[in-house]
Amino acid sequence: MGEFKVHRVRFFDYMPSGIRALAFNRDTERLAVARMDGSVEIFDCADRYYQEKFIPGKEQCGIEGLSWVGDRLFGVGLNGGITEYDLTNQKVKYTIDAYGGPIWAITGNQQGTHLAVGCEDGTVKLFEVIEDTIQFQRNLDRQKSRIISLSWHPSGSKIAAGMMDVIQVFNVETGHSLHRMLVDRGVGTSRGKECVVWSVVYLSNGTIISGDSVGMVKLWDDQTGTLIKSHIVTKCDVLALSVSQNEDSLVAGTSEGTVVQFQFISLVLGKDDKEWFRTRTFKNHTHDIRALAEITTAVVSGGMDAQLVVRPLLDKIEVRSVASALRKFYFPHRRLVSCAKKAGLMLFQYTGYLELWRLGESKEKGTPGSSLFIKRNPEKLLHLKVKGEDHIRCSAVSPCGEWIVYSTASSLRLYRLHFDNNNVSITKISKLPKVLSSANQLCFSSDSSYLFSTSTQSVHIVSLSQEGCKFVSTLKPKSGSNQAIHLLAASEDGKWLASANSDHEVHIYNLQTRKAHCTVPIYSSAVTAMGIHPATNCLFMMHADQQMFEFSIELKQYTDWSRTVQRKGLHRLWLERDTPCLNVMFNPKNPSHVILHDAYMFCIIDQSLPLPDDQDLFYNQLTLKSLPEDQRKTQSHAFKVCKTFKDILCVELMSDQSLVVVERPLEDIATQLPAPIKQKKFAT
Amino acid sequence: MSELTEPHIESSDDELPEEVAFDASKSAALKTIKDALESVKREKNILKEKRKKRQQLFQEQKKRKLLPQELLEEFDTKLQKKTNPSIKKRINKKVSTTPLDIDKDKEQKSTPEKIAKSLPESYKVTRVKDESASKTLQQKAADFIQSRLYGPGTQRTTNAALLSLNKKRGASQGAAVNFANVKLSAKQRGRIARTNKHFIQHTLTKNC
Repeated sequence: MGEFKVHRVRFFDYMPSGIRALAFNRDTERLAVARMDGSVEIFDCADRYYQEKFIPGKEQCGIEGLSWVGDRLFGVGLNGGITEYDLTNQKVKYTIDAYGGPIWAITGNQQGTHLAVGCEDGTVKLFEVIEDTIQFQRNLDRQKSRIISLSWHPSGSKIAAGMMDVIQVFNVETGHSLHRMLVDRGVGTSRGKECVVWSVVYLSNGTIISGDSVGMVKLWDDQTGTLIKSHIVTKCDVLALSVSQNEDSLVAGTSEGTVVQFQFISLVLGKDDKEWFRTRTFKNHTHDIRALAEITTAVVSGGMDAQLVVRPLLDKIEVRSVASALRKFYFPHRRLVSCAKKAGLMLFQYTGYLELWRLGESKEKGTPGSSLFIKRNPEKLLHLKVKGEDHIRCSAVSPCGEWIVYSTASSLRLYRLHFDNNNVSITKISKLPKVLSSANQLCFSSDSSYLFSTSTQSVHIVSLSQEGCKFVSTLKPKSGSNQAIHLLAASEDGKWLASANSDHEVHIYNLQTRKAHCTVPIYSSAVTAMGIHPATNCLFMMHADQQMFEFSIELKQYTDWSRTVQRKGLHRLWLERDTPCLNVMFNPKNPSHVILHDAYMFCIIDQSLPLPDDQDLFYNQLTLKSLPEDQRKTQSHAFKVCKTFKDILCVELMSDQSLVVVERPLEDIATQLPAPIKQKKFAT
Repeated sequence: MSELTEPHIESSDDELPEEVAFDASKSAALKTIKDALESVKREKNILKEKRKKRQQLFQEQKKRKLLPQELLEEFDTKLQKKTNPSIKKRINKKVSTTPLDIDKDKEQKSTPEKIAKSLPESYKVTRVKDESASKTLQQKAADFIQSRLYGPGTQRTTNAALLSLNKKRGASQGAAVNFANVKLSAKQRGRIARTNKHFIQHTLTKNC
């Protein structure tokens, strides 16, 4: 089958950033996730929660709240500005200063006309959402303490604001405060601290639900301005609340990592006397939960442990399928590691810097499964810091190892590396063509003579040589959407280039004529990884719903093998995997092999072997080992899955036939997370 | 006064009271009043002296804290030179985070002179007033959240303790999690391992 020497790499200290805010758009079924470092990720909830878009953040620029208005996304932060995100080109459109100090909360009304932001100086500012921008309308009455949370009544006439010790209800028309409801401080030592109302929710029947720092979920009546009911949920803070669309279910997230659900039901089935009762508790997190969203059939929670957890609510699901399983997202759905295959170098992309490492060497022989003694340790060659405040968006190293390029939201830098004897020196290419101002995706050609960069729906080709780089041409698709491209793949012989964008379109370009060649038929799921076979020039694509397609570029149609796969269908266990494939590689020595990997396994698909039936044993590597030689041929099928390595960030096949597996064990991430709440467990 | 009020218990009620001259009693009364006034004055003076002494003590302590007078004078003149040209430029701008950014002023292209021979090269002179504005509202808001979630009054523990608890009560029970510091060299790690072994063998096992 294949014997590989595996470089097991664990020195990529990838540290994900905690989740600070969630916002769900019901019409487009997109979930926007804001992280503590200021980056925004868009997940497509209908397409197996694939992370289709990513907008990087900036230094010292966190996000405190997100809000959708139609299909526009707005975010606010402690730097006092309201930011609109351009989702077509995956960057920040503009930032408007609200002149109220740090902004703590943002909410939009249901009609989609206005935005309200709550500021540090105690004002609620109303902005009108007009085409292309937002405009300041007026302030509501200024209050004495800071405004931490906001919620708009569904009719749009009243706003509830959670502040320090107090909840105020404002009449939006006049701007005056209708009610002022005092929230109790805690008992004992916490009486001296002010009670922070971390989150409020305004229901259409006039009930206001608040979660505060004492650990209580309180229900208030807005007609009389009094407390109806108070539930003690936890000893620490209740940091987030979210209500479902038909207002019969509320979820509250606490500092301990538990999500508590309240449902508006009656004690006796069928009777009309409904009340809010606490029903379920979910304990899927270890650290504080800072953001919650109740989407149509699931509860999505995220917090300081940087995991996004999607917990489907089983009473809203008819059929038990892949969609009804608990899902946790640890790693991003884009590549952070790029390899220089011929030079044995790896480039690690962090948020503020890049690291270039050379792989180690070891003895030649060894038995399968054993660890080889390392002759030369892997060494760090380069630590490249980004100039400026922006975070790195994408980076790449050329296959020969001589060029490094990275791009932030505002700039792109290209460097040339020189190796002599054991020294590495780096020179920056200063005169870059104007098209290389910033890029969403970067890719080198296989002979390192061209750099492909894309910032919108077109691809720019830049030639690289000893003297520097020169702009060659721009490839534009014949027709199609203007969504930004998120994947690029170049062929080995330098003739073809494939690009995939967030509208599920895959375009193939002919690099010799520099024109569009053809378009792959649009499939309903997004492309997560693609590669062009070096010998047959077939484009192999992996999608977010774990389907695979092989498209012959020269013949402009799907290959026979691909049609067989679609006809027969893939094995149930393959389709039930919940992490997307991030890399497609080919082995020059075995042209019928395709190597794929996702976060928990890597797999070699042998296109010459038969496909497995649904009844066949899928993970049959161990059984095949125990069988004698002649029986193996009858039992084996095309999918060879290896589950030795866990928490995989990247798998690459180097030109000397060795595999590199970059792992990031979750325990190592747990060492650097912020402090969790102390929990007293029985018998400890 | 005391003579007058001294009770004559032994004498009978029939005898006439003693004759006391009006002047004597008047002088006695005046004397007592004077005594009272004087004692009040004395107390006031004592308090005054105490306050003076305390004030002097504070002055001396403050002097001890301040830099020598000559250096202060030099700093004062230097700062006035620096802040005067940039005052005009700051009227319509927000508070900048680098208050000593004098590069905008073309006239004052002079290289920074050595302030005093006692100060080393890399030291700069800034006023406390200029510095306090640089702690922006954003930083204060971030501090507020940090203190509410992680500050005093919150029950926080370490990640190692959390993972150890899970191990203790989990399905496959094991020893407590102890994070190794991979940045230490092999020699340091060996030394730490040896001291831990020594501690376990000698101190812990002795007590039980």
